[in-house]
Amino acid sequence: MRLDEHPILTFQRGKEVSFTHDGKEMRGFEGEPIAVALHAAGVKVLSHSLVKHRPRGFFCAIGNCSSCLMTVNEMPNVRTCTEPLVEGMRVETQEGRGSLLGKD
Amino acid sequence: MKKTAEVVVIGGGVSGAAIAYNLAKRGCKDVVVLEKEYLSSGATGRCGAGVRQQWGTEMNLRLSMGSMRMFERMNEELEYRGDIELTQTGYLLVAYNERQWEQFGKNVELQHQFGLDVRKLKPREAREVVPCLNIDGLVGATYCPTDGFCNPFHVTQAYAEAAERLGVEIETFTTVTGIERNNGGISGVVTDKGKISAPIVVDAAGGWSQEIAMMAGLELPVYSERHQVMITEPVDPLFAPMVMSFQHGFYTQQTPHGSIIIGMGEKDLPHDTDVRASWQFLHKMSKLITWVLPPLEKAKVVRQWAGMYNMTPDKTPILGAHPDLEGFHMALGYSGHGFMIAPMVGVLLAESILGLPASLPMDKLDVGRFQRGELFVEPSVV
Repeated sequence: MRLDEHPILTFQRGKEVSFTHDGKEMRGFEGEPIAVALHAAGVKVLSHSLVKHRPRGFFCAIGNCSSCLMTVNEMPNVRTCTEPLVEGMRVETQEGRGSLLGKD
Repeated sequence: MKKTAEVVVIGGGVSGAAIAYNLAKRGCKDVVVLEKEYLSSGATGRCGAGVRQQWGTEMNLRLSMGSMRMFERMNEELEYRGDIELTQTGYLLVAYNERQWEQFGKNVELQHQFGLDVRKLKPREAREVVPCLNIDGLVGATYCPTDGFCNPFHVTQAYAEAAERLGVEIETFTTVTGIERNNGGISGVVTDKGKISAPIVVDAAGGWSQEIAMMAGLELPVYSERHQVMITEPVDPLFAPMVMSFQHGFYTQQTPHGSIIIGMGEKDLPHDTDVRASWQFLHKMSKLITWVLPPLEKAKVVRQWAGMYNMTPDKTPILGAHPDLEGFHMALGYSGHGFMIAPMVGVLLAESILGLPASLPMDKLDVGRFQRGELFVEPSVV
């Protein structure tokens, strides 16, 4: 779901770009937070809690809570709610705490 | 707070707690521990948490190996309701020049005489222990699989609770402001919450131990310097042992939780009790550690802190009674490795205070060695 019109705010969106989420092609607007693009595309689960593996979604939206940590271009623990979307990004759901050795 | 005690221990770190417990265990239960903040608030709670047995002198080997045996059964011995989190995943000591490697060879020979399982590894074998290790310029490494790390907060808490069960009183947020003397001895300790009359004082005040000694009119050849540590966010297991280099002065370990602790001794530090963190350390440390362990490039540092090393001229602790003041005992000047030998120090200090036979002769670690010029040279210190 995206707001196209708002009584007070105006939206200046970047150009439309493509990226992948767990290998699946997706589209979003350049410069918007990765998590926003995912949310608009219907992806609600961004990570899982470490102990009970319960789903975690878009939560604090300001880069604090670690609910949205994902692996982006093989960089683990990226705060996708604040990280701007760039053409061709490979966004992956992270299992566990994130690997520093490339792919999960 | 009590008005009188048999022994007052100054310092609520791991040393103070261990000494108090060991005194009480040996029947001396009228003990008060004074801590100016909370337990483990000084160097104990700020340390790198490593417990290493790979030392280069007989004394340190016996202290550290004896302490490891005690860490191994500490949960049971102290009937601790928690867990001290001992993890024996080894220490990998890396040598980047021939001279160091030669010294490592001598150390290993001595360590083998004491029955410590230590292996000398070629660079490529070191990579089998730590696969992401950069072996450029590495001459060799030594690995002791029973070294490891342990939670300093839990260890201190375990000792403190066991001591309290035996009758020891622990007063936190109580600052010592003076030590009173009478003819040749000690008569009491003055705090911001009142005075305790006591004939025996133990200075286990870590970074402030020289200030405590000054209150008793004693000048000790020790000083404090700031050492910093940083920690990353938790990540998947990357390496198991503590990795340590004497040449660069760094040490790093991944905690069971997954975060990676990285510390380093800096050169030419001011001698003071400053424990603020600096951005210069963050910069220097990150540069060095990403060279040694390249995957750490992708880890984010979440926190940084500092603590004090209480340094002696020979980087070896001062243990035992002071010859010039009856009743003044010292467990200080650990020079950065107090936590790992605290269990043995607790036993030795209690024995020495109570005049019991010593489990280990520690007279070589007395304060008089500096005047006699008999420095205790330990080749393996960061």
